[in-house]
Amino acid sequence: MFSGWNWVAHCLYLLLNICSLEVSGGLVQSCGHIIPESPVLALGSNFTALCILNESCLDFGNIYANQIIWKIKNKVVPKEQYREINRTVSSVTFNDTSSLATPLTCNILADGQIEQNIYGITVTVGLPPEKPKNLSCIVRQVSKLTYPMTCTWNPGRHTFLDTHFRLKYRWPQENFPDCIPKDVNNSCTIADVQFFVNLEVWVEAANALGKAESDPLVIDPIEIVKPLSPHNLSVNSGILPTVLKLSWENRISIAVMKLKFNIRYRIVGDTNWMQVPPEDTASPRTSFSVQGLRPYTEYVFSIRCMKEDGVGYWSDWSEEKTGVTTEDKPSKGPAIWRIIDASRSPASWTVHLMWKALEPFEASGVILQYEVTVRAKSSLSSPPEKYNVSTTNLTLKLPNGTYEVTVIAHNRVGASPPSVLLIPASNTKAPVKNVRTLPKDGKLWVGWTAPNSYVLKYVIEWCLVSNSSDCTIEWQNEPGNIQGTYLKGDIKPFKCYLITVYPLYADGQGSGQSVKAYLQQDRPSKGPTVQTKKVGKAEAVLTWNHLTVDEQNGFIRSYTIFYKTIDGNETAVTVDPSKTEYTLSSLTSDTLYTVRMMAYTDEGGRSGPDFTFTTQKFGKGEIEAIVVPVCLAFLLIVLLGVLFCFNKRDLIKKHIWPIVPDPSKSNIAQWSPQVPAKHNFSSKDQMYPEGSFTDVSVVEIEADDKKSFSEQDLKPFDLLKKEKSTSEGHSSGIGGSSCMSSPRQSVSDSDEGETTQNTSSTVQYSTVVLNGYRDQTPVQVFSRSESTQPLLDSEERSEDHAGGSDSTTQRQQYFKQNGGQDETNTDRPCFERTKQITPANEGDLVGFAQLQISGQSSQLLGLGLEKNTQEAALLDVLQQTSTEGQTVRPETVEGNPLSVDEMPKSYLPQTVRQGGYMPQ
Amino acid sequence: MAAADSSSAALRRRDLCSRGIRLAGKMRSDVVDLLDTYVEQQGLDASASVAVVEGVPVAAVERWDEQTGTQRLLENLAAYRAFRALLAQMLEEQREQLGEADAALGRALAAVLLQVSAFTYH
Repeated sequence: MFSGWNWVAHCLYLLLNICSLEVSGGLVQSCGHIIPESPVLALGSNFTALCILNESCLDFGNIYANQIIWKIKNKVVPKEQYREINRTVSSVTFNDTSSLATPLTCNILADGQIEQNIYGITVTVGLPPEKPKNLSCIVRQVSKLTYPMTCTWNPGRHTFLDTHFRLKYRWPQENFPDCIPKDVNNSCTIADVQFFVNLEVWVEAANALGKAESDPLVIDPIEIVKPLSPHNLSVNSGILPTVLKLSWENRISIAVMKLKFNIRYRIVGDTNWMQVPPEDTASPRTSFSVQGLRPYTEYVFSIRCMKEDGVGYWSDWSEEKTGVTTEDKPSKGPAIWRIIDASRSPASWTVHLMWKALEPFEASGVILQYEVTVRAKSSLSSPPEKYNVSTTNLTLKLPNGTYEVTVIAHNRVGASPPSVLLIPASNTKAPVKNVRTLPKDGKLWVGWTAPNSYVLKYVIEWCLVSNSSDCTIEWQNEPGNIQGTYLKGDIKPFKCYLITVYPLYADGQGSGQSVKAYLQQDRPSKGPTVQTKKVGKAEAVLTWNHLTVDEQNGFIRSYTIFYKTIDGNETAVTVDPSKTEYTLSSLTSDTLYTVRMMAYTDEGGRSGPDFTFTTQKFGKGEIEAIVVPVCLAFLLIVLLGVLFCFNKRDLIKKHIWPIVPDPSKSNIAQWSPQVPAKHNFSSKDQMYPEGSFTDVSVVEIEADDKKSFSEQDLKPFDLLKKEKSTSEGHSSGIGGSSCMSSPRQSVSDSDEGETTQNTSSTVQYSTVVLNGYRDQTPVQVFSRSESTQPLLDSEERSEDHAGGSDSTTQRQQYFKQNGGQDETNTDRPCFERTKQITPANEGDLVGFAQLQISGQSSQLLGLGLEKNTQEAALLDVLQQTSTEGQTVRPETVEGNPLSVDEMPKSYLPQTVRQGGYMPQ
Repeated sequence: MAAADSSSAALRRRDLCSRGIRLAGKMRSDVVDLLDTYVEQQGLDASASVAVVEGVPVAAVERWDEQTGTQRLLENLAAYRAFRALLAQMLEEQREQLGEADAALGRALAAVLLQVSAFTYH
């Protein structure tokens, strides 16, 4: 409790003390201070500071030196560095000032609890200046009379302190004011210096920690002058075309120094400077003639100077001035070459002469024209032909032979030496060997092996090979003693060049040797498009086209074919680049494959589009191996069946159809003499059930025979015909066959056809009536039987004879007509042909009745099964006549219809009802 | 060793003489350039001779062939020393008269003065 009151009393005392001081003097009086005040310390040195307490503080606050605490930037200095000198003084020592920082404060711990700051100082730590080094000076002339001198030096390490540098200089007997650098610490410029007196120059550096001086430099300023460059340079053409005269003014008095010069020059557009030999300009002067220049060439000149003895510095180069040399005659003739086109005529050439324009340094002026002389070597008597052209090419048509071509270039001053090209009749001399190329430094180098003979010069031809443009030839000449050169032209990368080397001899020319080359290769711009030529079960033949030259971008080194199934790994096959076809083998059958192709150059490859194909399920011959045996087996079975049927035909016949009586063996003619001897009724018809007629019979009623029929007898036929007027029917000459079909066809048509075959031998004559189904036009008509049954012929002939000669004639005529028409116009329906003869025989055919029974099943269906109204009417008639056992079909005879009752009672082939052979 | 020292001293003297001569030549060149400017600036008569001015010692050009080289040099030195003093005095007197436009003239005169000092040193 007591101590607490004591503490409060101390505070009050201090506060009162401070206040009283402020009131009394306006200043704060500290309880102590530090010695030294604001020290500047050398980095790394030791340092001791003292804190001295005032006596007044001792009396009032019981503050003593042993209570002092030293701090660096709020960090307490270890007590080991303290030392209490007496009760009012405490010291602190730092062995290395690098650990010091500002501020350094002296504090006191009042009553061991309250820390009170007594005093603080700022500590500056740095380094003393180093001795400036490398002092050097230069006098840069700025005008004719002004020569400021600039000296530079190395100021040394950073001192962390404010360091001042001074450039000092003096004569032995006279001092000059110091030169103080502005904004820098390593150079200073003295405004003016005097020559021919040694000047002592040195640098002094000083800061709070010390001072240092450089080594003195004793120089005569005249030895370090960098003069102003000569000015007012002018260039004048000399008398000679290779000389230009330079003039200038010097800006430094010869009394100050004598000068020597450097003159440099270059051709306009060129970047390389040439220099006049220094020894030629090593003396004071104000002009110089530059020699050895090219005629008619624009040059750029520049000049500089320095002290004659070489002590000092070169001036800057003067401003550039240009001058042009005068013209001279061309120094050499133009390089000449030719392209010979011998394709147009075997006896003459089209020679394209071409020469290169001279370089400016060769032309020595403006080329006005070229004089071309062509001299035929074979005929020396003929005068040479001369051409004056202003272009660099000339096309001539010359007879085959050896020629000497000379080209001379002319300018205003004179003519060039002639350029001669020998064009031999043939290139019989030795060619170069081993032509090769090599890209080098962005250019294309061509090398070759020289032939054994002495070569005058070489001509290198080259052209860009492209699909889109012609091969435009460029060329260059090379001397005969070299075996390689760079192509002098715009050689583009990724383009193919065809390069040809020709050796030219004094008396001829060697044939050209060619090589293809690329300056730079790249990947192909696209890949080959592959497709299949043939796909098998386990193999596929792939084809592709070569890439075009423009697409290749380099030499195609190889192709690689990649193929895979949908879920399989990709397989790669490398193919020779010369091939355009490859067979993939060991493929899986019936599998979808994806194939693509890459073309590779030296720089890489590029893939073409994917192509898919599916291998076949069966290999070649597999299907045949399956089908052929099956077919053979089938045929064998069929054959066996046929043989079986043949062997058992009797049994089959017995079971399938009954034995049909042969109508030819009938004796109806014998027991029915009233009936016209010739009738074609087939009794067989009556044997077959209705709708199964396979053959027809024709009843022909001759004109004479007609008389034997009463009109009544014919009426039913007329009626039938009338009623069937819409039904187109006609007869054929001989039954059983159609005019449109061969007998064999008729036989093989159907079972009914077979029936027909079986019964045809029994049918003598037949008329086949083709009825179109309902109102349809009949498909087939019959005009004549092709049957060749001899029995029927004999019967017919006998009947014809019996019928009288007229009727015979008419009938023969009838058949003849039909036959002729059949031969000549087989396409025409037989029905029509029949009708053609009808008018002629119309009268004779009155009462003619014809029974038309179709032999075709379809016609049967038309007759028997369809049962249209006309057929119904016919059936009615037939039924009326069936009592007499006859079924007739009368031919329509207009105007003479016969009633059924009037029909003659005669035995005619009957339409047989199903299942029975009607009794007659 | 002594011979080497004497040789070195002789070279130094020769060099000094050479540079003294060249300095004199430069001074002459500068003064010639300066004279016209000065005459124009001061408004003097261009035809007036400045070679002989009362109270100013003349260089030993008049009795060139009657004197030894040493005598000539000594006389010339005396003349230049007097010239230096007079020139410095003149510059001091005219410093205020020479304005900004005449700074170049003043610098040229000062340069001449410096050269005279240097020549005197030589």
